[in-house]
Amino acid sequence: MLLREVEYARPASVQEALRLLGANEGARALAGGQTLINVMKARAASPDVLIDLADIGELRGIELGADGTLELGAMTTYTDIINSAEARARPILGEVCNQIADVQVRNRGTIGGNVCSNDPTNHLPPLLVAIGATMTIVGQDGERSVPAAEFFLGVYMTAAGPGELLTKISVPPGKSDGFASVPIGKEGTCIVNVAASLNGGAGARLAIGCVDAVPVLLTPDSTEGDAVRKAVREANLDPPWDVHASADYRRHLAEVLALRAVAQAAGRK
Amino acid sequence: METVSRKTITVDVNGEQYEREVDVRRLLIHFIRDDLDLTGSHIGCDTGNCGACSVLVDGVLVKSCMMLAVQAEGAKIETVEGLAAEGELNDLQQAFSDHHALQCGYCTPGMLMSATALLRENKTPSEDEIRKSIQGNICRCTGYVNIVEAIQAVSR
Amino acid sequence: MTETTVTPERALVVEEGDVKPGFIGQSVPRKEDKRLVQGEGVFFDDVKRHEMGYVHFVRSPYAHARIKSVDVSKAHELDGVYGTLTGDEVAILTDPFFELSTAPGANIKDYALAVGRVRHVGDPVAAVVARTRELARDAAELVEVEYEPLPHVLDGEESLKDEVVLHEEAGSNTVWSGVFDWGDFDAALADADHVVRIERLHFDRFSSTPLECSGCLVEYNRGTAQWTIHGNHQMPGVGAIWMAPALRVGIDKLRFVSQDIGGGFGNKITLHPQYTACCLLARKLNRPVQWTEWRTDQHTANTHGNERTFLDVTVPVKADGTMLGFSVRAIDDCGAFPRYEPLGCIIWAQVTPGCYRWRNIRVDFTQVCTNKSPVAPNRGYSRMQHLWLTERIVDIVAGELGLDPIEVRKKNYVKHEEFPYETPNGCIYDSGDYARCLDIALDLIGYDSLEEKRRDAESRGKLLGIGIGSTLDSGTNNFGQSMILNPELQFSGNNEVATVKLDIFGEVVVTLGTVPQGQGHETTASQVVADILGCTPDQVNVRAGHDTYWNSTAGFSGTYASQFAVTGLGAVKGATEKLAGEMKQLAAAVFGCSPDDIELVESQARIKGNPEAALPFMALGAILNANNAGLPPELDVTLNVRHVYRPPFEKPDLERKYGNLTLTYATQIHACALEIDPETGVYEIVDYAAVDDCGNRIHPQIVEGQVHGATAQALGAATHEIFTYDEEGNLLTPNFYDYHVPHALDMPPLKTGFIESESPFTPLGAKGMGEGGGAGIHAVCAALQNALGRRGEGPIVWRSCNPYEGVWDLVQKPEQTRKLVSVESR
Repeated sequence: MLLREVEYARPASVQEALRLLGANEGARALAGGQTLINVMKARAASPDVLIDLADIGELRGIELGADGTLELGAMTTYTDIINSAEARARPILGEVCNQIADVQVRNRGTIGGNVCSNDPTNHLPPLLVAIGATMTIVGQDGERSVPAAEFFLGVYMTAAGPGELLTKISVPPGKSDGFASVPIGKEGTCIVNVAASLNGGAGARLAIGCVDAVPVLLTPDSTEGDAVRKAVREANLDPPWDVHASADYRRHLAEVLALRAVAQAAGRK
Repeated sequence: METVSRKTITVDVNGEQYEREVDVRRLLIHFIRDDLDLTGSHIGCDTGNCGACSVLVDGVLVKSCMMLAVQAEGAKIETVEGLAAEGELNDLQQAFSDHHALQCGYCTPGMLMSATALLRENKTPSEDEIRKSIQGNICRCTGYVNIVEAIQAVSR
Repeated sequence: MTETTVTPERALVVEEGDVKPGFIGQSVPRKEDKRLVQGEGVFFDDVKRHEMGYVHFVRSPYAHARIKSVDVSKAHELDGVYGTLTGDEVAILTDPFFELSTAPGANIKDYALAVGRVRHVGDPVAAVVARTRELARDAAELVEVEYEPLPHVLDGEESLKDEVVLHEEAGSNTVWSGVFDWGDFDAALADADHVVRIERLHFDRFSSTPLECSGCLVEYNRGTAQWTIHGNHQMPGVGAIWMAPALRVGIDKLRFVSQDIGGGFGNKITLHPQYTACCLLARKLNRPVQWTEWRTDQHTANTHGNERTFLDVTVPVKADGTMLGFSVRAIDDCGAFPRYEPLGCIIWAQVTPGCYRWRNIRVDFTQVCTNKSPVAPNRGYSRMQHLWLTERIVDIVAGELGLDPIEVRKKNYVKHEEFPYETPNGCIYDSGDYARCLDIALDLIGYDSLEEKRRDAESRGKLLGIGIGSTLDSGTNNFGQSMILNPELQFSGNNEVATVKLDIFGEVVVTLGTVPQGQGHETTASQVVADILGCTPDQVNVRAGHDTYWNSTAGFSGTYASQFAVTGLGAVKGATEKLAGEMKQLAAAVFGCSPDDIELVESQARIKGNPEAALPFMALGAILNANNAGLPPELDVTLNVRHVYRPPFEKPDLERKYGNLTLTYATQIHACALEIDPETGVYEIVDYAAVDDCGNRIHPQIVEGQVHGATAQALGAATHEIFTYDEEGNLLTPNFYDYHVPHALDMPPLKTGFIESESPFTPLGAKGMGEGGGAGIHAVCAALQNALGRRGEGPIVWRSCNPYEGVWDLVQKPEQTRKLVSVESR
């Protein structure tokens, strides 16, 4: 509905942003605002200070390296990814971004905001875990890289701690990816989603979203249906219940969607 | 750089300059409606789902309930009030009327801005592309049938 | 996505054959559009007053609790807060709102704010007014309320036990209870070849959630003790009846003003509690106060549609598929406060046998309170729930007996030759041709190639189902039906008002008593006026919106219950015909001839056969108003005519619960084709046809728009829209994030068709339409059943809302719902 009182600053550099984040204990970075503003409207969380990252050029841009690695600035919007020729080095990125919500949200929502908010129903956390992305975090102590599989720590919690900023996400090249989901209505919030990636070997990387606080990473050693099913069952998923799905239903969908995501990925080898 | 809780911002809305002092926490939609008295853009929800508040900010379609007014500092904003030139409906507005693409009219400003954004980028959208372009705009009256038809009529 | 056909290529037959003369029947440009597409509409939140205060309600976090104390002192300390209101003040300053029911429901005490107890999550406890919206919200957090939680009840059947009682003054949760018994059900049962029993069906809670939330800006004039309410109340006639006695003032002290309203769908009829709180605040604080409902509040604490459980459905059937009637026990859950209820306990009786010729019907109906949001006449009000029951009955009976649901419908439908048709409880279905509408729907959906479509779906791993939803939109209520529920009530008949005048400069000005929320009343009224006065709709100025100060309203004024084409336009027609008569009299007096010699053509009054002798409207208006010396003294004309249209109703027979309860019955027959993914329960509607018959269509495009909208809402209610509560009484779908309504990509290809069966009972042969009777819900349930059902095995679709997991359950565990149905064959 309406935000509580809050302070605001719009720094022009990562260094200045870090200084402001460090100087104010209740400070949060504001990216596209498609999650944070809503959270603040509901007063579910009320940071004391918003550090608006909009003017920081270093956080934008999509670069394709000579080795095919994609570097996406944290403030890259979903629309940027969808429209980017470079991002086609990893086509699943644009395809999945194109399923998120609607054009207004895609124009403002950022890849950095999506992963840092780590809402369990988000599309990008499981996708980035499956395709083996790497997150670059900058803090007062300098820069470090964290593999996506280690980046997500809990509901709304990531390895980018207070006083730190996610600056970019690196994605290795690849095309054998799949993403399957059951959303509420077309392109709505996901009830369950699964991202799959074939790494060239016989097996697959599978990341299941919406079933736990963080994406659940599975690595069956074969893409055969039985192997995938076994991997999902042995994961002993304990999904939450909510108005859209019971735990049982989510568990069931995880299995079905895992098979579909793997089949999709295999179809693009 | 210091943090502030109030700020003076300057925006261009439909070609006119406005300067106002606002609380940082004021949402862009409330700024447009309450501070600038441009009540054509509407509010239909609390969670950024309905799109009734859709406007263009520097040519980009956004839901103004998910932006702070201060984030629009220096921006060029376009709202429904800027579509008709001196009371003459533009082709899109006329098509909405011709095809009965509005009943209560509450979602209509948002729909028009979304359609405007679409047609600037894609003059001949398919039906699917049209539906996708207004996916973020909820209508409870029309079932979207005539809205899609109106946009198709303008894009032929 | 396949193409969306708006109307089929082949012309579908209009009953009367000819093209109608004049503007009635044409899709003229809508007058409302020019302002709305420019964002120049005036919705209540667009209205501002100098120094106004913004209201935020403090609401209960508990489903049921005693209020031990309310402390507003900290809120008052916040700079910018203008004042507050609490339940204690309300209890002193106002009397409880008028209750419609008999005891025990009659004893319920319903106030503008919770007094003593809160009875649902979101129940307003206090109100804060501040200089800005944000400050009001901040101040609300500073109000300290001490609650003592009480046990709560969230289920209708559970509530019947009265173990947890919501309203101590009533002593029971039962709002109303009665048995309706028409024909001879016991004899029908004895006569049956088969008896099909359905243990339980459940119509889920949802609402049409208009995009614009409720609200008002209230000003109080201290000098005249008059309130002006700029709001979006869609039935101010009744709103005033509730509010005036509560505020202890005369009705004329409440002025309701609205111009544009962003949808109502019945959810803006019971706004009187919040409006009364705002009236008290405006008077107390001596400043205008403005309240805008939040989306979350609309879902949690405004209104829902009636939730209804049907138990022990018993259907006697003959061997050839003729059904003889049914008996059922219905439990209606109206939430924490009845308000417009218990009218829902009788309104369904407008369509007792649905579309069918069933003569023996017994309904044991009880309405109870629960600790959930109150209900209101949501689109399709009470008839939709009942019609859904009749359609489930037809499909389940057909399925269990191995009969074709199409053939069973045609066999049991009221036949075209039988109209006007009197139902077992004395309602008169005016006209229609259900079988023909069904054929059109089947044709539109390509029913002939059903088997081919089924095989194609199977090849893709999907299950195809086709279902029919037949429904009726009964319009123009006889409010006398309320007396069947409570003989003490003094409501019967119906009315609507219109005023039409010719101004000094000959301008035709129309003032409506209705309160449109998008139905195009300004436009259709102008068509009617233009045809009678011989001018064009552009020359007819219809005032936008509604204002009780225009003296063009009556007790039932408003827009609801699918009646504008009958009552609203009936009032317009009556007023305009009188005005036309006066114009002819005046012209005759000027020309020295008989009024019968005068015709109104091309915006002139002229002598028939002598077009030179003509008086333009401007001359008529000027003569009477400004230049009237020499007119004959006996000429009694005002050129300013107020007409009250009164539909022809009698008071019902209270003993037999018998009588005509509605004037018109529009028909909707829908056909739905969907494909289910049996691995996930996800389903998609792949084809859809909606055939409508609302008699003479005044403005075909507007009619079709209503069909589209009603279909979309029904499809939402069938698939995702449901108000589910957790064990603590919290609503789990309080916003559009969780409560998924159809967006543009969710809509199936939608084909429409129509016929026009003129109503013999109405001024224009038109029938009210718009609510749509929920046909989409009936059709989707039928299609799901068709895809999954197998005779004697297979699941039973027993709920109105079937989200993906629900369908998956039906697929996985058919035995769970299978046991709801039994067939006794003799």
